[in-house]
Amino acid sequence: MATLNFMVGQEQGNVAVTVLRVEGDIDAATHKTLQDKAAEVIEGGATHILLDLGGVNYMGSAGFRAIHAMTNMLADEESSGLSKSPYLKLLNPTEAVGRVIKTLGFDVYLDIYQDRNEAISSF
Amino acid sequence: MSAKQVFDLSIKASLDNLLKVRQYINQAGERLGVSESALADLRLAVDEAVTNVIIHGYGDLDGMVELHMEGQGNAVIIRIRDKAKTFDPSHVNAPQLDTALKDRPFGGMGIFLIKKMTDEAEFLPLPGGGNEIRLVKRGAIG
Repeated sequence: MATLNFMVGQEQGNVAVTVLRVEGDIDAATHKTLQDKAAEVIEGGATHILLDLGGVNYMGSAGFRAIHAMTNMLADEESSGLSKSPYLKLLNPTEAVGRVIKTLGFDVYLDIYQDRNEAISSF
Repeated sequence: MSAKQVFDLSIKASLDNLLKVRQYINQAGERLGVSESALADLRLAVDEAVTNVIIHGYGDLDGMVELHMEGQGNAVIIRIRDKAKTFDPSHVNAPQLDTALKDRPFGGMGIFLIKKMTDEAEFLPLPGGGNEIRLVKRGAIG
C-alpha cells in the first residue's frame, strides 16, 4: 500500500508559517494520515500552513477531503464566502495534481504557488 | 494482424490495494501506448471507481474486484467488476463548485472525477448480482 512521509518546517514571513511537505500518494488508504498530521500541527499551534505537494505524484478525491478538512480546521468566523483561505495555501503541485485541483474547483478556495519564498511572504 | 492486447487484474477489495491498481493501470497503459495525460486521467478514474466499490459496495464485507483493460483503436476500455451490492451513482450529488468550501459538503467528488476524466462512464448491474463499471477514454492511444 501507499504510505505518506511528512516534513514539517517553520518559516517567518509576515506571520509564522508552518510548511508541511507531503511525499507519497494521497488516496483513500492514506488521506487520513495527512488529516491527522495536519490536526497535530494545528493543535501544536500552527495557524498558517503552506502545504507543499511537490512530492505527491498522485492525489485523488480523498486527498481533497483531507485538504477540505484542513481548511475547515484553520477557518475562523471571518472565513466566509468564496474568498481564498488566508490560512492554507498550496505549493508546487505536479501537473497532474494541479489539473485535479482545477477540475474540483479548489483553485477558487486556495492560492497555489510554485515558488516557496513567494508563498511564505504571501501570508 | 497483431493479437489484441488485454490486461486483467484481480484484487481483494481493500484500500491497501489501491496502489496496486494504479500500478496496473500504469503498466497496462504503457504497453498499450497510452499518452501520459490520458494515463493520469485513467489512473484517477479507476482509483476512484475501485475506491467506491470497496467503501460503498462491499463496505465491511470481503470481496474481489476484477479489472480488465484493453485498447480499441485509439480508445482505452476498462471494465471493473464486483460482486457487491448494487451501487447507483445517480443518487450521488455532484460537488457544489460555487459554494464556499467550509459550507461545501464532503463527498461526491469521486463520481464527479470519474465522469470528468473519461468520455463514457456506465454503471451497470450484472445479471446474478454485482456491478460493472465500464469506462471509455477516447484518443488515449497514439
